[in-house]
Amino acid sequence: MNIEYFSHLMIMSGIFIILAVSLNLINGICGELSLGHAGFWAIGAYVGGSYGVFYALPLPNFLNLAISCGLGFVAASLAGLIIGVPCLRLRGDYLAIATLGFGEIIRIIIMNMDVVGGPRGLTGIPKWSNLPLIYFFVVITIIFMANLVRGTHGRAIISIREDEIAADCMGIYTFKYKTLAFVLGAGFAGIAGALYAHYQEFISPNSFSFMWSVIILIMVILGGLGSITGSIVGAVILTILPELLRFMGETISEWRMLIYSVLLIVLMLLRPSGIFGKKEFNVLALFSKKEAQ
Amino acid sequence: MTVDKKIIMQTKDLTIRFGGLVAVNNFNMKIEEGELIGIIGPNGAGKTTIFNMITGVYVPTSGSVDLEGKSIVGQHVSHITQKGIARTFQNIRLFKDLSVIDNIKLAAHYRTNYSLFDSIIRNKKFKNEEERIYNEAMEILKIFGLEKKSTLLAKNLPYGEQRRLEIARALATRPKLLLLDEPAAGMNPKETNDLTELIRWVRDHFKISILLIEHDMKLVMNVCERIYVVDHGEEIAMGLPKEIQNNKKVIEAYLGTSDEEAL
Repeated sequence: MNIEYFSHLMIMSGIFIILAVSLNLINGICGELSLGHAGFWAIGAYVGGSYGVFYALPLPNFLNLAISCGLGFVAASLAGLIIGVPCLRLRGDYLAIATLGFGEIIRIIIMNMDVVGGPRGLTGIPKWSNLPLIYFFVVITIIFMANLVRGTHGRAIISIREDEIAADCMGIYTFKYKTLAFVLGAGFAGIAGALYAHYQEFISPNSFSFMWSVIILIMVILGGLGSITGSIVGAVILTILPELLRFMGETISEWRMLIYSVLLIVLMLLRPSGIFGKKEFNVLALFSKKEAQ
Repeated sequence: MTVDKKIIMQTKDLTIRFGGLVAVNNFNMKIEEGELIGIIGPNGAGKTTIFNMITGVYVPTSGSVDLEGKSIVGQHVSHITQKGIARTFQNIRLFKDLSVIDNIKLAAHYRTNYSLFDSIIRNKKFKNEEERIYNEAMEILKIFGLEKKSTLLAKNLPYGEQRRLEIARALATRPKLLLLDEPAAGMNPKETNDLTELIRWVRDHFKISILLIEHDMKLVMNVCERIYVVDHGEEIAMGLPKEIQNNKKVIEAYLGTSDEEAL
């Protein structure tokens, strides 16, 4: 395994950490089943990528990347708002189907937009992201989510998952907080999109198919719905595991997708609520306990 | 009606239809400041439906609900709670996977004064407000004897304590009127006795009005000052506990008439 390949895996893990953590806000913390995450990822990637290709300002790379991510965030969260307001009146399976549909609509709209290359994809995106910059955004995302859930707004979002009727009766306008979770989740997926576009230098509508929404969802469920640390671990495992199997001899390499699927099934059978369940693994608490001893 | 006491909540000709079924028909009630009132009636009489209309869960087909003289019909449940009507549920609805204290903190959510931005960057405003909410929540937990269990998950409390936590949580929204939906359901006689005391004490200590639905007649007759009896969605009697106990219509509603028995 050479260093370049290793760094590629690290970068992809980072991007998927942002995607999984942001989907966890919608699916795990708020408890609303969304299957359109790849759609928001695509919007971030295309808006960020278009800025790089058409409007790039003569600024240092990291500033341009920050602008690109900002635009991706705004665009994706706006899309989240437009989709969320009508869809969040639906519940459970119905919401899942509606978001699935919207994810596909976004992809098909992009496919038919000649400005951004249509089905040929958008080429010549400047390579602004690199490993440290991507992890800068990963850290921001994680801090954002961790602080969110420990404040009153985050608690209001969790109360929707726990019992929506009771939350309403406690004076929490649940629709507002559902929308907030959806919009923020979409926005951070947009950041992941911009980072991805500026890393790959090329994006096409097919890079954001429905399958990716499912894979991100698997990362969240594998780690434990509702656990931020779980989503991080889930994202890293699902990015690295298929690649690791590639290097384990010829037979395993040939059967790697099968082994990967079986591993997922076994894990879900052994730990149906995910690796972490709803719990968080707190590094700081671990340190403070050691100090106390 | 005498003018010395303020009317907290009043329903006028409250009616709701589900398709062809009239679940509640022309229900009128008045609750004065500090009153402790009961609604009783056989299963399926429409008691919980009345609660759901008062709290905004259902929108009545016709009629009105006034809180302190202003109509609250059609407003969102959360806004009605913010204006001063809190409730508990027939089958406990706690935030099970949250800690006891977080359950109480959520009731203070609408009175929490910091923005999303404050909570992300954790500034002084955030810390002060969180401290205030924490202290308020602990105070309420102390009143209900739950302060030592503040970090436990709500689902791990014993049944009786879950019931108490639900009442505590409703009170933490600072209501003027508290609705209790079968608070004694599933409790043993001793727990019911404690609850009777608790309800009376809560009314005096928090200076609020209480409206409760209950099947435990001993509790109702002990604690309520006035009782409404509902059957088939209509009020069949209203009065002091003693009057209700001897009311012919009420006895018929619960036990049936002699004609029906013959059939």
